[in-house]
Amino acid sequence: MLRPPPKADPQPAAVRVALAGNPNSGKTSLFNGLTGARQHVGNYPGVTVEKRDGRFRHGGRSFELTDLPGTYSLTSFSPEERIAQDELLGGDFAVVVVVVDSTALRRSLVLLAQVMQTGASAVLCLNMADEARAAGQQVDVAQMESLLGFPVVETVAHKGEGRDDLRVAIGRAVDSSPGGPRLALGERLEAAIAPLRPFLAEADVPENRRDWIATKLLLGEDQFVERMRAGGEPGRRAVAEAERQRTKLETETGQDAPLYITERYFGFANGLVKETLRRAPRQDARALSDAVDRVLVHRLLGLPIFGAVMYGIFWLTFTVGEAPMGWIEAGFEALGGWITGLWPTGSESALLSLLVDGVIGGVGGVVVFLPNIVLLFLGLALLEDTGYMARVAFLMDRVMHRFGLHGKSFVPMMTGFGCSIPGIMATRTLENERDRLTTMLVLPLMSCGARLPIWMLLIPAFFAPVWRAPMLFMVYGIGILLALVLALALRRSVLRGEDAPFVMELPPYRLPTLRAVFQKMGERAWIYLRKAGTVILGISILMWFITAYPKKDGYEVDTLLAEGTVQLDAGELANAHAEEDLRHSIAGRIGSGLEPLIRPLGFDYKMGTAMIGAFAAKEVFVAQMGIVYAMGETDEESEGLRETLAREYSPLTGLSLMLFLLIAAPCMATIAVTKRESGSWKWALFQLVGLTGVAYLVSLIVYQVGRLVV
Amino acid sequence: MAAQTAQGTLTGALEDYLETIFQLLQRQPFARVRDIANARSVKAGSVSPALKRLADLGLVKYVQREYVTLTDEGEREARRVYARHQLLIRFFTQVLQMSPEAAERDACRIEHSMSDEAMDRMVRFFEYLSACPNSPPDFLERFHGCSIVHEGSVPCPHHCEHDQSMRRVGGTSMSVYDMKPGDSGCVTQVNAHGAVRQRLLDMGILPDVRVELERVAPTGEPLWIKLDGTQLALRRQEAQAVLINRS
Repeated sequence: MLRPPPKADPQPAAVRVALAGNPNSGKTSLFNGLTGARQHVGNYPGVTVEKRDGRFRHGGRSFELTDLPGTYSLTSFSPEERIAQDELLGGDFAVVVVVVDSTALRRSLVLLAQVMQTGASAVLCLNMADEARAAGQQVDVAQMESLLGFPVVETVAHKGEGRDDLRVAIGRAVDSSPGGPRLALGERLEAAIAPLRPFLAEADVPENRRDWIATKLLLGEDQFVERMRAGGEPGRRAVAEAERQRTKLETETGQDAPLYITERYFGFANGLVKETLRRAPRQDARALSDAVDRVLVHRLLGLPIFGAVMYGIFWLTFTVGEAPMGWIEAGFEALGGWITGLWPTGSESALLSLLVDGVIGGVGGVVVFLPNIVLLFLGLALLEDTGYMARVAFLMDRVMHRFGLHGKSFVPMMTGFGCSIPGIMATRTLENERDRLTTMLVLPLMSCGARLPIWMLLIPAFFAPVWRAPMLFMVYGIGILLALVLALALRRSVLRGEDAPFVMELPPYRLPTLRAVFQKMGERAWIYLRKAGTVILGISILMWFITAYPKKDGYEVDTLLAEGTVQLDAGELANAHAEEDLRHSIAGRIGSGLEPLIRPLGFDYKMGTAMIGAFAAKEVFVAQMGIVYAMGETDEESEGLRETLAREYSPLTGLSLMLFLLIAAPCMATIAVTKRESGSWKWALFQLVGLTGVAYLVSLIVYQVGRLVV
Repeated sequence: MAAQTAQGTLTGALEDYLETIFQLLQRQPFARVRDIANARSVKAGSVSPALKRLADLGLVKYVQREYVTLTDEGEREARRVYARHQLLIRFFTQVLQMSPEAAERDACRIEHSMSDEAMDRMVRFFEYLSACPNSPPDFLERFHGCSIVHEGSVPCPHHCEHDQSMRRVGGTSMSVYDMKPGDSGCVTQVNAHGAVRQRLLDMGILPDVRVELERVAPTGEPLWIKLDGTQLALRRQEAQAVLINRS
């Protein structure tokens, strides 16, 4: 009988490789170097933890690389650690590359011990080898390799040094037979683990995972205990035996299990370093960095210097960014003009309106900020890559922590004064999930640049010149105050929970490489642009539709004109038409529909309609107010509109309106970015509804109490 | 130093011959000159003068040409040398964790010059090791952790004198939070639970590790500490959990 020959798999499945390592070990830099542009950056589902996947080829084979979250150890305490651990246990990786900072070997090798214990086939990557060498440290890599029984490579990730060696080493590790020398963590621990193995075998735990699970049961980590208990009788017996062994271990050693076991890992690390360190680093290797710290975090100078650095970054962002911003604006205008030119003059084509008012207007309004975003991210990447960000957190933590935030929340929040979007994206420097979510959710309260035109229109309209500057100051102040209060409220309610332990590493200052800084900057700029091209494009079209449709057949003003009741010139007529169009549109109707709801705040349907526009982008509020008052094209300098506002509304209404615009619904782009960065719509909608609710409450109280007083 | 016997002095080289003959005699009734030469990796010609010297000392007797055995005196002497050799090898491999080859080489060199007193002490040391209820004793395990990769154990005391009693009862109640910039001390206890404790331990804040308070933030918190090549910032809560013994 003839059988068809087995078909050769045209594309053999890629070999799965994971990168594990401490934060600040240069892991992501190494990942970028290995995969280049072939990578995908996203989030683990439902959490703020970043997930990076990429591919590379070596020796005719295809490798799929996963960058695990940076952790100091594999426990179940923080989301990052839990994810790293779950991935290592369930991810089915052929090889796990453990990236360590060569200048902090002992501490970093603890993670290696843990990865070895999970039964993974490992490769050790001694990163930042140049720095270690410069400090006089010399490691016998061959000796280390022979002791560990798997490949060890020295690399300098940000310079690309050792990258090919690492590829070769990964290939070697894939080919080598699994199960090298077992990690010996001392006789006592082994004596506690050994009796658990048969129980775990019975509970169907794969052989190479048994030691790890046994250790976790000895530690009594809930996640594992519960999973084993749920697994039936053998699992329950394993848990019971682990408890017996833990008691025995603790009585014998006089130490609790976490301490004893952690000491074992350090013991392994110490031993490995002792055996392989040919020359220890000089004691004064960090002297220069320490000297810089004596100035930059000085008791008195530290804060002023930080203030100057922040000022410098904002100057860079807004002053240098101004010119290219103008070019982009002009570019979109020219594009709009060119498209308009394709249609006959005065055309009422819906497609033309969609393209020019909807797409170009909406997306252009977001893309125009790209130069600012790029420059801001350049500044932030420099702060991060030099190590200054950790010092900022050190300086600011006390104040921020009082409100349930983290020292590292400060810079993203300052960024929010420019624009909430880069601010929310900058929260990535926060490692802890709860800290990051809290920062993200309250960040839109930092009065952003797009809201400035609103204040410029409203404040002079309602307040006497002497009050104008204090009013502006007050608006910003209220935003900051409310952000802090709400952060505290969030930490006491929705994001309740113990603080994440604050044990922050202060790495030595490092000279950032241009490549790393530009890669980081480019990556974030690209995320911003992509957002503009997708979600924001969609919402822009929707906003365009609800402000343009349904179309009106005949205008009231035309009848009045025909009757001779009013006299209007051509411009006034067009403005009157625009006003009627907007009122007739879906947005106008929503605005009118909202009127009973917003009347207690002192607002009428005109304001409601303008606010719907403001959801697209805050500054649109000004233009929409111009339209509803039939003023034609208006901006914040428009005296006519100010006079109208002053005539129509009381200063109390003005105040209520400003507060509402400050606090309520951040713009659609912010919501879209919050969704992306938090990993779920849940938080984005919570932010939208929550902030709008708070705004309603604040405006209601101010208006109603104000009416009684005034 | 050569050992004294009834008949005179026994040099290191002769002791080695004696030991070799003793080992050969465990397997066969007589030791042949050729076997001795092979075992010692020397020419047969250089064996004969040594045997003659040993015979003169009354330690070796010729059964016939080329075949020798040990006298009673010779056997006693050989056993003594052999025991020393084994003891040294055991010390080098089990306590100092040296490789078998290096242990063999060094044992061969030292066994001849070691005093009876040193040997006696070593015997007692091994007796203690096997009799000690806490086996292997803490100090040995700690030592192994410091030096030997395959016997991972407790961290080295980073410049800190190890004080067991201090560690067990918690010692002073002073914490890192009570330190002044520039102060340093040894960790005695990490007095926290769950995530905080594990995180502190993971960062290397373990008993007997030396920590130094570098500075305090202008606002009074966090605290900036140095330990074993790393620098960390701790908030008040974490700093208060780390108890130290100031020095």
